[in-house]
Amino acid sequence: MKYQTVIAGFGGQGVVFLVKVLALCAGNRELKFLGTENHGMSQRGGAVSCDIKIGDFSNPVIDRGQADLLIGLDANEALRNLPLLKEGGHVVSNAQEPFPEGLPFHVHTIDANARALAGEFPIQGLNVFMLGVTLATVPDFPFSIEEIETALRQINAKVADQNIEVLHHAIADAKGIEN
Amino acid sequence: MKETLMGNDAIAWGLIHADVDMVSGYPGTPSSEILGMVQKIKTKLKLPVYAEWATNEKVGFEVAYAGAIAGKRTAATMKQVGLNVASDALMSAAYIGNTGGFLLIAADDPGFHSSQTEQDSRVFAKFARIPVLDPSTPQDAYDMTRYGVELSERFQTPVMMRPVMRVCHAREIIEMEAETDFHAREGRFVRNIPRWAAVPRAGRLEQGYEALDRIEAISAYNWEEHLKPQFDALEGKSDVLILASGTGFAFARETMEELGVEADLVKVEMPYPLPVEEIRKRFENYESVLVVEEPYPCVEEQVMDPAKVHGRLDKTMNRIDEMKKEHILEAFKKLGLYEGENVYAPKLSFSIDVPPRPPALCPGCPHRDIYYAIMKVFKKNKSIYPSDIGCYTLALSQGAIDTILCMGASVSMASGLSIADPSKTVVATIGDGTFFHSGIPPLINAVYQGHRFILVILDNSTIAMTGRQVTPERFNQTLDIGRIVEGMGVKCYEHTYSHEMHKNIDFFKGIKNIYESEEHRGPLVVRVRQFCILDNERKDDWVPGEYAVVDPELCVACDQCTTVYKCPPMAYNDEGKIEIDPFLCAGCGGCLEIICPTDAFKLDEEKSGGGK
Repeated sequence: MKYQTVIAGFGGQGVVFLVKVLALCAGNRELKFLGTENHGMSQRGGAVSCDIKIGDFSNPVIDRGQADLLIGLDANEALRNLPLLKEGGHVVSNAQEPFPEGLPFHVHTIDANARALAGEFPIQGLNVFMLGVTLATVPDFPFSIEEIETALRQINAKVADQNIEVLHHAIADAKGIEN
Repeated sequence: MKETLMGNDAIAWGLIHADVDMVSGYPGTPSSEILGMVQKIKTKLKLPVYAEWATNEKVGFEVAYAGAIAGKRTAATMKQVGLNVASDALMSAAYIGNTGGFLLIAADDPGFHSSQTEQDSRVFAKFARIPVLDPSTPQDAYDMTRYGVELSERFQTPVMMRPVMRVCHAREIIEMEAETDFHAREGRFVRNIPRWAAVPRAGRLEQGYEALDRIEAISAYNWEEHLKPQFDALEGKSDVLILASGTGFAFARETMEELGVEADLVKVEMPYPLPVEEIRKRFENYESVLVVEEPYPCVEEQVMDPAKVHGRLDKTMNRIDEMKKEHILEAFKKLGLYEGENVYAPKLSFSIDVPPRPPALCPGCPHRDIYYAIMKVFKKNKSIYPSDIGCYTLALSQGAIDTILCMGASVSMASGLSIADPSKTVVATIGDGTFFHSGIPPLINAVYQGHRFILVILDNSTIAMTGRQVTPERFNQTLDIGRIVEGMGVKCYEHTYSHEMHKNIDFFKGIKNIYESEEHRGPLVVRVRQFCILDNERKDDWVPGEYAVVDPELCVACDQCTTVYKCPPMAYNDEGKIEIDPFLCAGCGGCLEIICPTDAFKLDEEKSGGGK
């Protein structure tokens, strides 16, 4: 299997946390993978993206037109990284407005900010929420809910229960969205 | 044992598994996590290891190097521009050599992700005439760390390992030793004055000959151990031979697989010293040779044969900036290895305009408020603002910085600018970490020569930009910046950051008056005590928990907050009014006075609980 995922957002949203979760999932199944982080100088607020390539790769960077999946924690950061997606790839993004028409991708957007503002989940769980939306909407996503749960427990046992709650909330919320 | 690790973590484990028990260095992206991870392993396994941040790279190099001349296995870590600072020590150490293994880890940053230059440390190793190893993946980095320490001990020379950011910050499953059977070398300095204290001319000349012999021997070893077995195994699949170093190998191999290109590929693990004659002999079997490496043409220049060798020098590859597989595809096309389509072209038929998200100071960062106050008092047109390397560099977006050169240069450039353009007030800014690193000698210079400028030391008590490593003063409070400055015979004016903007502005107004008074001579030094908003140990003592909202009736869309104050949560909404992103606001309260000409920022009473 070869599966390339880009996770995009800005500093402070927990982009790197998500790539660690996916790395753990791959490691647990003894799948080869390579991941990398792209961020500039800012600590908080600057654009951040992470690449994770599962399968027999030798360099960690995802080139344009290659990604199977793009997870956007922020709409603009998702749009910025769209050139990395392959034709027919999936983009799952937190977005307040619909994406442009006519994209050669499967587009799944959800207004996670509004849900967090309404108190449905804490904003610190945005990254896990979007992972839940991914699980619910992307048919060829390589990991199961159980595998993600296991990784969430491994990465931080103390907050695993809250994270898993957010994950399931997102899965229920996102069933069937595609625009 | 298999373990998922980031490249820098793999290097740290490699050091421990090579019995390295002294590690020093200075933080710098992308190298910073190496020493931090050694500290974590040390604590976890209760190992007798010295692993401490030095005040700068030169000091770190020298501490570690001294351990290696006393027989220990040691390492120094830094980023590529940090190596410039340590270069004086490196150049001499390359002559003198060492007895215990000494690994210099210099991490490069092709693509300028967080560095002011794209220089290639492999070329520096060549300049210093020491061997350099170039890992292509985190696994390589683990293996080469151990190998490099052995190599250094065997040939009695410092060895450099040069991982790039795509190795340091890459993550993969590493195969590493399951057990840590740690045996530190006993440190015993054996007096050998002709060696350890060699002086010009005779002593150093002799060492120069020895260094040349060493590098020749290592070059032959490089051929026998690394290159010859690979060349012998080549099948002659193509007219083009590909020589690839470090990540260049990883990029080239993957591009070949994805494009279905069959070609002979050699991985250069030690890009200096190269057995040039042996390599060139093997070129005879090929029409052309493509060198894939970054960021400088280090291998290419060594094996150069203008009739055959292609790469960065003849623009077959990209000349600058981080390598992409697309560049390799283009090079394959030029050399006739590939004729298909550009599979790395984006699949979008139209472009989407996305507003840029330039690097910014964090919401709640006190640097923003201090720079705002400085600009308010000293004015854009009447002053020059040299600054330095650190988070505060990002105040560029506030228009509050005029020059950036390298660590510590704010102070010496303030001297130079004050001499060259005395019509302006020079207000220099430097962080506490950078002041300790290299801001002290230029301040002594300014004091003794009586240069007129204002130096503001932004003291947040941490090396924030690289991940909040400890500063000397934080670790040992007897090292007081104020007392250091006063030791130069200069008063150090103290200010404590306040989220009430008028207090910061009033302080700098007072400073301006003192500076312009007839009695004042020479540089005027200010230390502003601050915090870092990401510093969990200290920030709660500082942040008032005063969250802001905008009164849309008062907002006149004047752009003051988005251009002069520049706090990331502030942006225009669909109604053309400023709105504060509630998820981003840190509750610092810094914008609640003075920032807005119409006072549209109001305390969000509900969210703030009335403040602290």
